Amino acid sequence: MPQWKRWSRNKGRQKPMSQEKPDTVWLKSDLTENLLHIKQSFGNSSDLNIREIFLDRDEKICMAVLYMEGLADENQVQHFVIKPLIHDENNYMDGYDSFLEYIKMRVIAGGSVQDLHDYHSVYTSLLSGRTVILSEGIPRGIAVSSQGLESRNVSEPITETVIRGPHEAFCESLRKNIALLRWRIKSPNLWLETRKIGRVTGTNVAIMYINGIVNEKVLKELHSRLDRIDLDGVLESGYIEQLIQDEKYSPFPTIDNTERPDIATAALLEGRVILLVDGTPFVLILPVVFPQLLQSPEDYYNKTDYGFVRILRYISLFVSLLAPSLYVAVTTFHQEMLHTTLLISLAAQREGIPFPAFVEAVLMEFIFETLREAGLRMLRPVGTAITIVGALVLGEAAVQAGLVSPAMVIVVSITAISSFAIPSYELRLPIRALRFLFMALAASFGLYGIVLGGITLLLHLTSLRSFGIPYMSPLAPFNIEGQKDTLFRFPLWLMKTRPRLISQYNRVRQQSTGPRKPDSRP
Amino acid sequence: MRRKWMAIFICFLLVVTPTGCWSRRELDTLGLATGAGIDQTENGYRVSVQVVNPEQIAETGGQGPPVTTLQTEADTLFECLRKLTIKSPRKAYFSHFRMIVISEEVSRKGVRDILDFFSRDHETRTDFFIVIAKKTPALDVLSHFTHIQKIPSQKLFDSLTTSQEAWAPTVGVQLDQLITDIVSEGKEPVLTGVYVQGKNEIGNKEENIRRIHPPALLAYTPLGVLKKDRLVGWLNERESIGYNYALNNVKNTVGDVPCPKGGKLVIEVVRSKGDIRGSVENGVPHGKINIQVEGNIGEVSCQIDLNDAQTYYELEKRAEQRIKKYVLSSIKKSKQLQSDIFGFGDAIYRDNPRYWKKIKKDWDQRYPQLKVDVQVDVKLQGSGTVGNSFIQKMEK
Repeated sequence: MPQWKRWSRNKGRQKPMSQEKPDTVWLKSDLTENLLHIKQSFGNSSDLNIREIFLDRDEKICMAVLYMEGLADENQVQHFVIKPLIHDENNYMDGYDSFLEYIKMRVIAGGSVQDLHDYHSVYTSLLSGRTVILSEGIPRGIAVSSQGLESRNVSEPITETVIRGPHEAFCESLRKNIALLRWRIKSPNLWLETRKIGRVTGTNVAIMYINGIVNEKVLKELHSRLDRIDLDGVLESGYIEQLIQDEKYSPFPTIDNTERPDIATAALLEGRVILLVDGTPFVLILPVVFPQLLQSPEDYYNKTDYGFVRILRYISLFVSLLAPSLYVAVTTFHQEMLHTTLLISLAAQREGIPFPAFVEAVLMEFIFETLREAGLRMLRPVGTAITIVGALVLGEAAVQAGLVSPAMVIVVSITAISSFAIPSYELRLPIRALRFLFMALAASFGLYGIVLGGITLLLHLTSLRSFGIPYMSPLAPFNIEGQKDTLFRFPLWLMKTRPRLISQYNRVRQQSTGPRKPDSRP
Repeated sequence: MRRKWMAIFICFLLVVTPTGCWSRRELDTLGLATGAGIDQTENGYRVSVQVVNPEQIAETGGQGPPVTTLQTEADTLFECLRKLTIKSPRKAYFSHFRMIVISEEVSRKGVRDILDFFSRDHETRTDFFIVIAKKTPALDVLSHFTHIQKIPSQKLFDSLTTSQEAWAPTVGVQLDQLITDIVSEGKEPVLTGVYVQGKNEIGNKEENIRRIHPPALLAYTPLGVLKKDRLVGWLNERESIGYNYALNNVKNTVGDVPCPKGGKLVIEVVRSKGDIRGSVENGVPHGKINIQVEGNIGEVSCQIDLNDAQTYYELEKRAEQRIKKYVLSSIKKSKQLQSDIFGFGDAIYRDNPRYWKKIKKDWDQRYPQLKVDVQVDVKLQGSGTVGNSFIQKMEK
């Protein structure tokens, strides 16, 4: 058995850290005991605010208002909970079983109120920013909504910019993100399920889909995969993505992500499922197919170019994957393939270069990748410095010093530019890594190696699935209707159906006829 | 699991075992040979190979010559080429041969031994031209400073490519066609000749390209006629034109036609179609050449009224006669040399294979007696951007 398998097995055997849910502990009738218990559970953390109030003049009914500073909106707590409680005259208490019930129904001005019976629910309520009201003599509590954590406002998307189209991005707040989608799809069929994932963080995760369009099988599969997740914390939707993706070891993304509400909306309308995670602006889209990663929202917002830009992207995909390796293969194995003049010119440039073409290519690609990586993490003011140094190192100095040939600089630049033409950042990552693999193949076996590598890659891609949907569809399996929106981009009125495999049961997208000339000229 | 490993193993085998052109060579280890010249020595060949000095060709340019011509002597061609390594730091790379220059001496003795190497070696492509160095050693042709195009072989290649398209007497012959013609029983090959025009001794010096009027130039001559693989004679310019018209090698050329009232008029041929057919009538083989030419009047230096349609008919007739004369003269020459360069034998075979089988043995003797019927049809389409020449008005 291979070593890695053994490791993964051992990991499976290890017991997870004991963070299991304790058995339910019910609230007591004694308020002091309750408060003490809660305080102890929080380790006397100072941001747990407890305000004790007497409800009546006789000071018989003692109540406690609990909330977490910062998580709860202090204003809301004052106005909708404490103020009504203090000003209440107990005039209509008679009709209710307990005064807690009375408070819930008549006094509290908060929007949503919830009954609490055990300590655990008290904790989760407090930590979600709700205000908890406990009362002397009653083994229950109520939670009033008062969430008030400030989150970033909706701002422009940073990673996916468009010229034409909404300039609006998701933010870190799950509620706002959901609202952004609700605002776009005004239909009760937009269904939402939330669940908490993460034993320690208890992060809110929302599943959104349009009932009636969504593929039920995908939904079911998603649920079962989410059920299998057992980790302590979810800091970004990437955690979920990695744990629910289809292929364990493939570098290709079988789940897409976006920070644009309009892309998410389009995905919903096509019958895909959206997974929103609290605390990150990146929502997950699933299932995803490969051609989708080369699409941009602007393909649809602008008048059709019949696929010119799309095909350009496919070409740049190949260029960014293969340009250096083709260069290496042709110049070291297949010199007869080049035009004589070109070969002489290349040979002249190679004159006096100390490294073999492969080393040269790897060196330059390495420098470029490092530069890109450095620029990514760099403070903005330092970024320009990096650019200057990079341009000098890559372009001028290396050539002048005779370390690399100008042709190689051109090849690397073309590769770099093409790689940025791929819209999906997720797709750039595997392409980048595979580029080096192809370069190694080209250096050792020439074009033959590239072809074999290409075949392997193609086999891998066609074997991938995203929640049961073949990754390369509608190219493989081929679907003629799908071609309207894959390599080409047909006029909008011709794209009458949704992707066949994704929304299987409700496929008609539109019935609109195309634009028409007026019957009579004005 | 096991299956997966088997698959990986098979992939590995696939990568490693198949053979092919896969030897890895860096660009800076290649001696880029662009041309080879073959001269006769007492008991073997002297091969001169023109190797590019890439640095001198590059934009920045160096001081040295753009190419170096190295020569070795050995009994066989391949030995010669390998022996080059004793003089060159890099092994010559043959894929980019542009020209093979064979000396007249070698070609009179036969080129078959040379051609075998070029068709056998896996490195050589077959898209280079083969020419015969007329009255000069092949070495001299390849050690020549050339203007505009710095690499002499490339210059020869480009010049032959353009001239065969724009000037009727030349034709570029490539390896596969030459071999086909040599092997074919009913058709003999031709090869264009090249020679050094002017002062041969200066051609080798840089001085040659420092002058506006180069003292020595590489120029093409009309066609050399081969019989099997041996050079037997040369056509002159007019005979070469006739040959190329018949063989459909003319793409675009110009030719003069005498005017009725004296003086000359030049016709630019824009389209030409030559067709050679053979037939057997009453047990006697016949050849037939049919040439269709379309052209425009390109230059008028005589008194002629171009506004009259009759003039065109007259000119067409004269042009037809002219071309026919060329073709007939080249047929005559080829009959003298007993070399069926037109491929009449081939045409007869296509028409009547049985008959050809009977006569192919003594075709060389029969060929001079072959009756050939030449038909030329010229169509004039226009007179360029003007009608009558201003000469007409001047002299009125």
